[in-house]
Amino acid sequence: MSDSTAATAPVAEHECAEHECLVLLEHEKGRLVNVSLEILGQARRMADLRGDEVVGLILGEHTKDLAREALAYGADRALCANSPLLAQYTSDGHAHVVGEILAQRRPNIVLFGATHNGRDVAGRLAVRLRTGLTADVTALEVEPESGLLIGEVPGFGGGILALVKCPERRPQMATVRPGIFEALEPGEPRGEIEPVTVTLTADMIRSEVLEVEEVERIDLTRAPVIVAVGGGAGGDLEPIERLAELLGGAVGATRVAVDNGWISRDHQIGQTGVSVRPKVCVCAGISGAVQFTCGVAGAETVIAIDSDPQAAMFDHADYGVVGDLFEVLNAVNKLLAEEESVASDGHEIPQAGTGGETEKGAVRATSAGLDT
Amino acid sequence: MSDTEPVRIDDARWDRIVELVGDSANVCYQCGVCTAICPWGLFGTAGPNVRLLMRNAQLGLDDDKATEEALWLCTTCGACEEFCPRAVPVTDVIVGLRSLAFEERRAPERLEGVLWSLYENGNPDGFPPSGRMAWAADLDLSPASPSSDCLVYFGSAACYDPRLQRIGRAFRRVLQAAEVNFGVLEDEPDSGDVVRLVGEQGYLEECIHANLKTLEASGVHEIVTLSPHDYDMFKRIYPEHGGAFRVFHATEYVAQLVAHEALGFAEDKPQRALYHDPCYLGRHHDVYDAPRQVLGAMPGLELVEFADSRENALCCGGGGARMWLETKAGERFSDLRVQEAKELGIDLIITSCPYCIQMFEDSVRSLRVEGIEVRDVVEMAGAWGPHVPRQPPNIYEVCDFE
Amino acid sequence: MRTVVTVKVVPKSEEVSIDTVTMTLDREGARNELNRPDKNAIEMALQLTETHEGEVILLSMGPPLFEEHLRVGIGMGAHDAVLLSDRRFAGADTLPTSRALAEGIRRIGDVDLVLCGEESSDSATGQVPPGIAEWLGWPQLTYVTELRLLDDGRLAGKRDLSGGHEWIAVSLPAVVSVSLGCNSPRFPDFRRTRWAEKNLELKIWSADDLEVDPAELGIAGSPTIVDGVRQAPAPERRRERLEGPTRQVAARLAEHLRQFLRPEA
Repeated sequence: MSDSTAATAPVAEHECAEHECLVLLEHEKGRLVNVSLEILGQARRMADLRGDEVVGLILGEHTKDLAREALAYGADRALCANSPLLAQYTSDGHAHVVGEILAQRRPNIVLFGATHNGRDVAGRLAVRLRTGLTADVTALEVEPESGLLIGEVPGFGGGILALVKCPERRPQMATVRPGIFEALEPGEPRGEIEPVTVTLTADMIRSEVLEVEEVERIDLTRAPVIVAVGGGAGGDLEPIERLAELLGGAVGATRVAVDNGWISRDHQIGQTGVSVRPKVCVCAGISGAVQFTCGVAGAETVIAIDSDPQAAMFDHADYGVVGDLFEVLNAVNKLLAEEESVASDGHEIPQAGTGGETEKGAVRATSAGLDT
Repeated sequence: MSDTEPVRIDDARWDRIVELVGDSANVCYQCGVCTAICPWGLFGTAGPNVRLLMRNAQLGLDDDKATEEALWLCTTCGACEEFCPRAVPVTDVIVGLRSLAFEERRAPERLEGVLWSLYENGNPDGFPPSGRMAWAADLDLSPASPSSDCLVYFGSAACYDPRLQRIGRAFRRVLQAAEVNFGVLEDEPDSGDVVRLVGEQGYLEECIHANLKTLEASGVHEIVTLSPHDYDMFKRIYPEHGGAFRVFHATEYVAQLVAHEALGFAEDKPQRALYHDPCYLGRHHDVYDAPRQVLGAMPGLELVEFADSRENALCCGGGGARMWLETKAGERFSDLRVQEAKELGIDLIITSCPYCIQMFEDSVRSLRVEGIEVRDVVEMAGAWGPHVPRQPPNIYEVCDFE
Repeated sequence: MRTVVTVKVVPKSEEVSIDTVTMTLDREGARNELNRPDKNAIEMALQLTETHEGEVILLSMGPPLFEEHLRVGIGMGAHDAVLLSDRRFAGADTLPTSRALAEGIRRIGDVDLVLCGEESSDSATGQVPPGIAEWLGWPQLTYVTELRLLDDGRLAGKRDLSGGHEWIAVSLPAVVSVSLGCNSPRFPDFRRTRWAEKNLELKIWSADDLEVDPAELGIAGSPTIVDGVRQAPAPERRRERLEGPTRQVAARLAEHLRQFLRPEA
């Protein structure tokens, strides 16, 4: 493949399909992933302000059910790019197929999830198309008359928020941070499913997946959620482990818990353990000595549960609960377990006539970072 | 090493070790007192064979497992040096061997992160440099200048650990009570004690040179430190690179104030307490009396000695960069001290080193020993009604600071 | 094997502020440091040279103040450093930045592998590594935590997935972005840094040294613009106490936690 410097000239504002918002949807184990549903929700809300069409794009080997799911969650049209070569994500494969579609359709806006793969392909495509890419947005708006996309992005460790625009080049692209927007309540899938011709051949893919390994235990330093336990648990880790399991997170521990033999040392967080940077860290029964808290300083949100109202841990937490950690965690686990079973059973797309209009409403961003 | 295979000595490596360790190991005659006295021996066979380590250093051998592990177990408490019949500076040998291990990336990985943090943030724990003096924002501390009586150097631990910040506050209270016009460094750098103990040479030199410039620019001639580790750096190590300051530990300074009646204690409350001699104040610098004099001047305070005190004091386990290395439960020196306090029925341990305080409080927590408190000498002074008993015209005319 | 590691010098995040008069970013008062994931990338490159002979060259785009930090990278063990420094590079978004770096790599020549930190702590886009790959027409692997050179000459990289990981092989030359914290970067040898200060001339290249139209660089070549900045709410912990009966408190906690209920890609 030759280099990109001689690629096609950039698309200008007036040359694009100005009422099309295309979303690259990611999927796993036969379902669209959370962030994709969230982006569809936001795309729908923005599109309704302008009469735009929301187009979901799915790459894979068998995509029909995914397409229906997209239509149920806010897309007007679902494009299916089917090929055995797309069964697994590859940079080259995705860049080629998505790039071709974007070159043909010239949408006004293209949205990706800010996942590893989403950022991987978006970054490459932005150069191929010589256009602007706004990274990891935590708020999105579209100007109704002009169709200009305005993204708010965090920088400098989240301390600074900047508004980014791409005034002249098209498409306007953005990767969207997971957990910011709300997915719509699924309705009946209405809209068109359109197959896309895939010109991808095996020799265009320059990478080879050698092995995929599923691991039981999640590495503490990469876990997005950590539930940490301290001396206050008195040896019973069950509610902590249950919460971690429900949230797909890892269990962490203070030195006291490890010393008492409740859990092995590779779970230890702190000065002589590891430093972690999860999105959420729930600290149960932890007093909050600096030897522990320095290990969780990088967590985005810290929740502390302890029976001692004077515990220093509360000074290092965003949300603190003074109470019996077993009572509190058992209640939380019960609530979340109920929601999870509803989500997995009730994930069927409602049949015709059983209701569920798609929501239209104002833009609503729920990131804690935007609370003022 | 098997019985049948000869030991092979690599001359080049031998030269390198001699270069790093200097003459330190030469006079060792392998009596083994060091191994016998090493506090690790309290835990059975857990500890280093110091004698063997010295022998290997003499022969230029350092790549056997025993030496590797022993090297990083050492807390540099100095018990071996204190009792060595030939006064071998064993801890210098240890630090020299650590230099080599560090160069060859055989040091514990955790310490690389600690050094990066010192380089990028001026403290070993990754805290932001801009926040170093935040704890003192409401204290109105004056920047050090030629007109300051002395410079108070707090150190990284006391600046960032909320528990240890209380010592800084207490010291200010005491100095203000004695009407000492002290100054502080607004952009206080780390003294480099951890850098030295890890055995990292290149950055240590950078650190010391930069800090000497900062200290000279401040115009002060006297430095008072809260930590015996910083005391050791400024008093013993820095002069090897230039700079001429009089350096005091906080307890020495306060002891002088008390001795010359520039400071007294108005409170009178009955309290029994144990005093623990920190290694870097006691064995390394022979400062045993000053803290006891300060405590002795507090009416009502009854000082009890640990069974092993002064030259025999048991290390808390935090030195030698071990604060950042994990020590197995059941092998912690500080646990033994706390247990001794419990057995004696004394609920207060007083010491004069931030690392000792952290180690003892950690032990109190993990052993779940109710009611035992740990305090710094300076905190005690701050809580005992410090005041000027009579008004000296100028403490520097009365006191004879050497 | 010749490896180029792209490196950025960034201001300490907590020291950057907003000038409330001009409503722009004020980096002047902030101390600078090597972008943290770039250190992981340098370490990864150095580890490769321990098993396979080769050299590590640092490449950066920025003002002269970057030089001191590049020498710290040399202290870690890198063999040489190139700084692209020119006023015309200023104000660049990721498109002209990745372009300039790609041209720098072309000019260095004979490069087998480009390693980059996954993203920089200031703008945090993560877009420059795939951008460089696209400009060069090379395969890319992003968010890699481990690298191995295979016997057939290909490079295998480990990428985290939700609930596990994958190993992917690519042929060289390739561009790889390296995840933050995937290894322990070695501490620099400051005696080597001091030696480099006296004996190693860093290569400083301007826009004229690169084969690219200046209109495609800097602000002129940037499709995105920043139209306003504001301070995010203080990163201090909120310290909010949740009170009330257990059921109520549990419901509040569930609000913060339910987004993690389904596994993400």
